[in-house]
Amino acid sequence: MRGKLLAGLAAASLLLGGCTSTKQLADLNFAPPQGDYSLIVMRPDVQVGQLTTGGLVEPREEWTEQARTNILAALRAQQAERGGRTKVVATRADAGTDPQLVADLERLHAAVGQSILLHKYVGLTLPTKRRQGLDYTLGEDAQRFGRATGYDYALFMNAQSSRASDGRVAMQVVGILGCFIGFCAPQGGGSQTAFASLVDLRSGEVVWFNVLQGGSQLPGVQGNDIRTPEGAAGLVDRLLDRMKPGRNIRRAQDRRQG
Amino acid sequence: MSREHQHDAGLLSRRALLGGIGCACCAGVLGTGEALARIAPKSMNSLVGPGYKPVDRDERGLWQQYDRFEEEVAGSNLRMNDPAMQRYLGGLAERVGGPAARDLRVYLVRVPEFNAFMTPTGFMVVFSGLLTRMRNEAQLSGVIAHEAGHYLRKHQIRAYRDTKQKANAFAVLAMAAGVGGAGAGVYLGDAVQLAQLGTILSLFDYSRELEAEADAIGLRNIAETGYEPMEMSRVWEQLIAETEASARVRNKRPRRGGSLLATHPAPRERMRDLRASAAEVTQAGRSYEDGRARYQNALAPHRAMLLDDQIKLNDPGASLYIIENLAKDGWNGLLRFYEAETYRLRGRPEDLARAVSGYAQAVRFPDAPAEAWRQHGYAQIKAGRPAEGRQALQTYLAKAPNAPDAKMVRFSLAQ
Repeated sequence: MRGKLLAGLAAASLLLGGCTSTKQLADLNFAPPQGDYSLIVMRPDVQVGQLTTGGLVEPREEWTEQARTNILAALRAQQAERGGRTKVVATRADAGTDPQLVADLERLHAAVGQSILLHKYVGLTLPTKRRQGLDYTLGEDAQRFGRATGYDYALFMNAQSSRASDGRVAMQVVGILGCFIGFCAPQGGGSQTAFASLVDLRSGEVVWFNVLQGGSQLPGVQGNDIRTPEGAAGLVDRLLDRMKPGRNIRRAQDRRQG
Repeated sequence: MSREHQHDAGLLSRRALLGGIGCACCAGVLGTGEALARIAPKSMNSLVGPGYKPVDRDERGLWQQYDRFEEEVAGSNLRMNDPAMQRYLGGLAERVGGPAARDLRVYLVRVPEFNAFMTPTGFMVVFSGLLTRMRNEAQLSGVIAHEAGHYLRKHQIRAYRDTKQKANAFAVLAMAAGVGGAGAGVYLGDAVQLAQLGTILSLFDYSRELEAEADAIGLRNIAETGYEPMEMSRVWEQLIAETEASARVRNKRPRRGGSLLATHPAPRERMRDLRASAAEVTQAGRSYEDGRARYQNALAPHRAMLLDDQIKLNDPGASLYIIENLAKDGWNGLLRFYEAETYRLRGRPEDLARAVSGYAQAVRFPDAPAEAWRQHGYAQIKAGRPAEGRQALQTYLAKAPNAPDAKMVRFSLAQ
């Protein structure tokens, strides 16, 4: 009886653990771009691998290629609906300026993006950045890039995904079945993490940031499969649709409505 | 206790199984207490041919990641973009790269550390601190050949597969022990932890074995090219002496390596094995060269920068050792100047006099850098020999009229 109860509880907690969540942050004065704006979507950093029985992620060339192609197509389709002038680039040379400048900006963004993740998401909060929304900038490099290319905004995106191998799924099954005899060892399955950030190239500031996280300990539940066009579209949609304005803008909107 | 007794018969087989696996791992662990067996250079053949491209799925995934990494390294602002130096290093890789001679790429980065690394796709990153320390081309080629050896022996993918298999085996074992133990009503957690430790240690053991392989094939390749094989062990002799010199000045015990968690064999062990292997590959009657003149020519335009980066690390023990080691091939103005600078920066009571005499010695060499004249000039003025000092400052200005501090020096002279 007690064993069954435990198993039930475990299964419930596993189900709850199996969802995808996003968390947006924005500059206090961020208003989502609309109307006559121009946006350049930088080459997305995509990696898809297979989760092995022992828990290593083995990078897979074809899966990564498929996912990258599908994400690029999903980004193009999504942005086409928005009315702005948008360019999605697949390589650094596509960006329309010196590839070295593009590379420098990408690296700078990678570093700043890492600090945003660390200090705004992982929980190592900086006292100086508390309650200030998103307060990060790429500075003059981003402005120079904006002037060189003529775009108002740049969007950076990173997506990592893993799919559980058969061996891993078997481990997950045994780990849960074990609950019935008192050895509960739920194992992680395939997972996804992605983040996107929007940089205002006129000011150089990172004005909006979103992180998506998904994974499950239930065998067979793996979330969006970004190797497929539908899965990639789902990821892009969850990550980039419905940008929320910053706090000051929201308050002003509330006041007008109230 | 009584419960365990009841299930004794069923348990025995599981215990034997666990014990067996535990021991398989531990055998590897105990093996590292003793020196790793030396690998004979002639047993090391290349596992890749010219123009090698991966076929297996896992290896292709790895290559894709590293192609992306190469793009980053190639465009990194740490790279030293000197075409002549680039050609020189590329040429060395071609000479000692065995079947991969034409496939290897070398990137030189400005990082003043003794290091170089190889990637599975055939590009190698050489740190400028390596060039600072090598006495001749044979030594540098030895390091390049060692790195190329990692590629030729497909080390990254082999290490990855080893890790994957061991992680898989451990995961299955741990799960079986957990579920089986729960079914039998015993706790096998301790045995699982032991097996985990064994698994981890065996990964490091494998890593050290691959390093020994790279040393062996590297040595074989430089000897076949005609470089003095003994020079490769001298690289380690130098590194050990440098580590000790550095520790002595800082009043610390030198790190000797050789722990169970080391990825590389201990330097002493490598030196000993390389020496033994060098004797093995040396053919009587054949002449081997160390290529010192070529090396010094290739490095000449960068030597001052390399030494400058080194002395600014604030590691006077290592810096003085490196300078003295290079001076075994003859002192020159540059070495004397940076020796004096190291003393000045260390700043112990006795160091000032050493620096002053070092600058004086440096300026006697025709290749003394302009800065040596400036330092010598100020040192002489301070020591109460203004005429000599002013003369030296004039020489500095004549040699470096556009130096950033030229105005300042002119102001000093006008006082």
